[in-house]
Amino acid sequence: MSAVEAPELWDVLSIAGEVWTSFIGSDEPLVPAADEAFPVAWSGAVSVTGDWSGMVVVEMPEHCAVAATSRMLLIDEPTQADVSDAVGELVNMVGGNVKCLLFGDNSLSLPVVALGRVTPPGDAVEVCRADLQWSQGPLRITVHSVAHSGATS
Amino acid sequence: MKILVADDSRVMRQIVIRTLRQAGYSGHDVVEAGDGKEALDLVRSEAPDLVLSDWNMPEMTGIDLLTTLRASGSTVPFGFVTSEGSEDMRARAATAGALFLIAKPFTPEAFGDALSGVLG
Repeated sequence: MSAVEAPELWDVLSIAGEVWTSFIGSDEPLVPAADEAFPVAWSGAVSVTGDWSGMVVVEMPEHCAVAATSRMLLIDEPTQADVSDAVGELVNMVGGNVKCLLFGDNSLSLPVVALGRVTPPGDAVEVCRADLQWSQGPLRITVHSVAHSGATS
Repeated sequence: MKILVADDSRVMRQIVIRTLRQAGYSGHDVVEAGDGKEALDLVRSEAPDLVLSDWNMPEMTGIDLLTTLRASGSTVPFGFVTSEGSEDMRARAATAGALFLIAKPFTPEAFGDALSGVLG
């Protein structure tokens, strides 16, 4: 991929698909889905700061986060700490790959994971949103552009 | 041989260890570190034959870990396993003395390609 001014939906779909195929399972692909509301039980966010500042957020319902963690660790009953760790690593991989697409000198934060939704900064502008579905349920990935990056939960 | 896997995510450490096996590198002793500082201490106390390290970690980043090791005279073979695989990051890793950078998400084949010259 060549460097871009800002990530686009296609970039996010490609990155998320690759993460899912590698660590969740190639027999349970992640596919684009309709924009439908779901109860957000887990959120993970990473911030990019530098020539481009923004935030990447992954949101999942409980059963989806638990199932993804179960696939990643190859265990049946992950703990809440396992789920938090897995959600953080998923958003870290998506955010790290988004950062690699961008022009300029940028740095990536450590992931922030929350029960419920992560609130982007007030001046955040949604750049793109990927509504996705896999065998265990829906998830959403959003990319926000912000003047001063940072997440609160 | 002894391999030190440093990543602040326990989930990712487990995936890295599993991928090592899938790539054909079974039977090695594996030591785990949850951040760069712990990894530095373990390099000194455990004398691993290879370090596989995340880049972005609390306490001490992977690149600071590598720089500190080289400044102290350690020549332990060192590779990054990180979500940031841009050309700029690869160049920084190589300049600091890393043998390779494996970008997340990865496959057993990527591990095989990177490690064939290190673990045989």
